[in-house]
Amino acid sequence: MITMLHAGIDVGSANTKAVLVDDEAVLKGRAIMPSGVGLVASARQALADAIKEAGSTPENVATIIGTGYGREIVPNKTKAITEITCHARGAVALFADTRFVIDIGGQDSKAIALGPNGAVTGFEMNDKCAAGTGRFLEVMARALEVGLDRMAEAALSAKRPATISSTCTVFAESEVVSLLAQGEEPAAILAGLCQAVAERVHGLAARVGVRREVTMTGGVARNAAVVRAMERILGFDVNVPEDPLIVGALGAALIARDMRLRGNQ
Amino acid sequence: MPGTIPQLAFFETVCVDPYATARKAAEEGSKVAAYMCTYTPEELFHAAGYFPMRLFGRNSGATNQADAHLPAYACGFLRSALDMALAGELGFVDLMVFGHTCDSMQNLADIWKHAVPNMKQLVITTPVVVGTEASIAYFREELARARARLDEIAGPVSDDAIVSSIVLYDGHRALMQRLYALRAARPGCLSGREMMAIVLASMLMPREEHALHLEALLGALDQDADRVVAAGKPKVIVIGNVVQNLDYAAVIEAAGCVVLDEDLCSGRRAFAMAPAESEDPLEQLARMYLTPAACPSKHQPGFDIGGALLERAQSSGAEGVVILLTKFCEPWCFDYPYLKEVFDKAGIPSLLIEIESNQPPSEQFRNRIHAFAEMLGAAHGG
Repeated sequence: MITMLHAGIDVGSANTKAVLVDDEAVLKGRAIMPSGVGLVASARQALADAIKEAGSTPENVATIIGTGYGREIVPNKTKAITEITCHARGAVALFADTRFVIDIGGQDSKAIALGPNGAVTGFEMNDKCAAGTGRFLEVMARALEVGLDRMAEAALSAKRPATISSTCTVFAESEVVSLLAQGEEPAAILAGLCQAVAERVHGLAARVGVRREVTMTGGVARNAAVVRAMERILGFDVNVPEDPLIVGALGAALIARDMRLRGNQ
Repeated sequence: MPGTIPQLAFFETVCVDPYATARKAAEEGSKVAAYMCTYTPEELFHAAGYFPMRLFGRNSGATNQADAHLPAYACGFLRSALDMALAGELGFVDLMVFGHTCDSMQNLADIWKHAVPNMKQLVITTPVVVGTEASIAYFREELARARARLDEIAGPVSDDAIVSSIVLYDGHRALMQRLYALRAARPGCLSGREMMAIVLASMLMPREEHALHLEALLGALDQDADRVVAAGKPKVIVIGNVVQNLDYAAVIEAAGCVVLDEDLCSGRRAFAMAPAESEDPLEQLARMYLTPAACPSKHQPGFDIGGALLERAQSSGAEGVVILLTKFCEPWCFDYPYLKEVFDKAGIPSLLIEIESNQPPSEQFRNRIHAFAEMLGAAHGG
């Protein structure tokens, strides 16, 4: 018997993620690639890669949900759903007791409150400014000549974080240069930057009202220094998925599956 | 698809180039009086022979010239209007009328005087407390002072002229109230964007003419009794201050909500005043314009703004409330936590979005509205 698959494609500002689940909600395939400028091509390619990983063929994909900023351009989509709804669904699938999601993506951060049934009850997003997002950390990593993958490790090795007072990404970059000129250790600066991101996003979360359990999603949740800083501010541990980048796409795939099963009833 | 009603296309056209009607009237010899606050009695200026026009600023574009005069915390609404004046886009305006809406508006009048010295200016210091006999008496005197100034710059304004302007505006307001009542009785018979265009057009063109189009529209809606623009979507009302950019209503609806009603400064609050009885037309205007309304820049003893807005939401049958606040609008921001609590206690989800309605809606705006629509949709199992 052929296994039908349900796809979630999350076209974000930095990366495009595709996830496939089957009728039993089991993850069958995943793919991540840079979004680039050809969003449609990226969405197609990510889906093709996920199908390949699942060992399946495009005909077996029954439903496609697009999410993320490029949700409307996802080819052959059944529906476009916001990443707020999708991250909530994905987080609850991974950690059933999730009541709050902190999603830090490439260009925005979101705080999402959930009811006991996993439904979204309130949310906040950054609006005018990309401070406190993945892009902020990317720019800073470049300024300090540290790979993104090495950033957390270096930050966690610092004895104390340097104080970063600028919230503007551009000004923070010059502040970093100025701190280096003053002889500050790069590790301390990195720790300060991770701390600054956590503090800024916590401010957003506090507006919604944080409740336990908290699950962190999005690419920045892979940065252990930001996660530790967030836990320090909150005063308790947060859930971090094994692959936080695909939580939105996973949620979208699960919603696709739900829709398909509802439709077949 | 809802049927086509020619008047709707007409109102939309008026709003696409909002100041074209007044500009053209000025070219043909009319004197244009521009104002920014709902508490400005247009009737007085109409009686003095002016074409009263609401100034909202632009719908897009930078405000570099105004930025030189205003601090970062002044709202985009004021900034955009001042920028238009500095860029020479308001050459057709003969008289600029300022009300005492908020601190920023009050100070804008002073800045305007220095930065735009060639435009005549009139400040009407609206009382901060409204709805009391003392405030009405004070406002009447303030209107008398304004009238004396109009006598100087535009020639004598007779009581009879004011009375006939009041009659004209009362007639128009009655039509607008009929339209609001019709929209309440037939939810979704007009889209949020259509309604917004109708309302804004009234502030950008002669009321006499708007009233004629409005009557034709009401007739057409009666004929098309089944007209529904969007069924089965989460229903919301929009509250807040100034939203003059039609794209905001359009995005809210494109993102999956249907706008049933609004309580905006650029919306129904401009028609909220009840007709008042008085031998003295200035007292009549003072009474009418100080009718309590959901404007947080006023103190209104005995009037509960939260209760009024909740009633608006509940009576419309809305499932959610979208609160659109112009960024840096202090009076609204002070009231927001209380308003949110009122809606929370009543179990009506609300979504606050700070906007710059002098700029097109951002992607983040679209995203939030879409997520709110999903949240409301999930609540009723959609």
